Amino acid sequence: MTPLSFDPLASGPLLAGAVLATVASLWLLLPNGRDNASTRWLGTLLGLAALAAFIATGRRLGGLGEEAVFLIVSLVAVISAAATIVSRSPVYAAIWFALSLAGVAGVLLVLGAQFLGVATIVVYAGAILVMFLFVLMLAQPAGLAPYDRVSNEPFLSALAGAVLLGVLSLSIGRLSAGPATCCELPSRGTATPLTTTPLTTTPSAAADVATPAAANATAAPAAGAISTATDPLAENHVARLGGELFGRHLVAVEAAGVLLLVALIGAIAVVSRGEAALAAEATAPTRPSAGRSAIR
Amino acid sequence: MNPTQSLPLLQNALTVGAILFSLGLVGILTRRNLIVMFLAAEMMLQGISVSLVAWSRYHGDWGGHVLVIFVLTVAACEAAVALVFVLQAFSRTGRLDAAAWQSLREANVARTVDHELPSIDTVPLRFPTLTPAGVLPPDDENEPLQREHV
Repeated sequence: MTPLSFDPLASGPLLAGAVLATVASLWLLLPNGRDNASTRWLGTLLGLAALAAFIATGRRLGGLGEEAVFLIVSLVAVISAAATIVSRSPVYAAIWFALSLAGVAGVLLVLGAQFLGVATIVVYAGAILVMFLFVLMLAQPAGLAPYDRVSNEPFLSALAGAVLLGVLSLSIGRLSAGPATCCELPSRGTATPLTTTPLTTTPSAAADVATPAAANATAAPAAGAISTATDPLAENHVARLGGELFGRHLVAVEAAGVLLLVALIGAIAVVSRGEAALAAEATAPTRPSAGRSAIR
Repeated sequence: MNPTQSLPLLQNALTVGAILFSLGLVGILTRRNLIVMFLAAEMMLQGISVSLVAWSRYHGDWGGHVLVIFVLTVAACEAAVALVFVLQAFSRTGRLDAAAWQSLREANVARTVDHELPSIDTVPLRFPTLTPAGVLPPDDENEPLQREHV
């Protein structure tokens, strides 16, 4: 076992403190109808304390540079996420969510998922978030609406979220406590030859395609970088991901394309029928059921 | 490859994913603006994506990456359809409030009533100011039509 074995007794009080600080911080920070600067400062301080506790329960990574990069991008993601759900203005919430997406993309890049990091920025921040902002500009009244300044059951919701977070952190910490029954390596080698064979350019790896595990073992140090030395997915990442996606998962890709088409047609159909129903309601105000029957 | 070498990275990334998921859960439970609720749901999807990629890195397997790509696809479809419904709801009620649709609740659930709703902005929003540069433009006569707040 690694020397970083998990001690539940040592980090138990730390986790409990982090959960309590998270509850209090979210309860103070969520919109509660009163705009009190001092409670917001107290909530921010408690949230930072909870973050420090979660950082303290984290594991040391290999290199200092990788550790610092991971810490920075994950802090950006988490702090922006918290600001998303506590900000009063929905436009500010959307902008904080964009920053959180940038942090998440950074985390994905640290994890070696280059394509997914870029795709998160392009698809989420570039398309979905802009669509949200369009709808906000269409539908948001001027000023802060009253329903943006109150929230439903902030204490119970914060308690539920923080307890869920504590339980998840406990089970994540137990991953290194003993023989992890959940984390057996799957029998790799059934899937990798399909994609490594035509796409690998390293001659040593191409010679060993009969034994994919050996191919991974020899190809991984050839990648050169320190952080990717233990990542068997680092070499020819995007090409091999495309091979996997259009090899094993070709039917699922086709199904996803059909799903996109159905969502597009469905959105257009709902818009056109809804406008027809609204027009029918406007022309016949004495029969309020006309709009509903037009929808059906 | 020794899988325990990347175990700390796996645990840290799973913790980040758990925090994102929990914050999204709190957001979708508490907020009443429909669009902010959808942002919170997308944040839960982000937490799931981080966890899936972390497991994929740990196992050296492509399954997590492929699943995250499909999560992105389904999130795009969901956002398109959901925003259409949000726009329809707004054009019917004039509000983005989830409580405007509480007539859809169960018959034995009491109606929620807002107590002590703030009627006016007690603290006005402050916007960042930029250093003035260049020539001041002339006054626009359509200026009252422009929105002063976001």
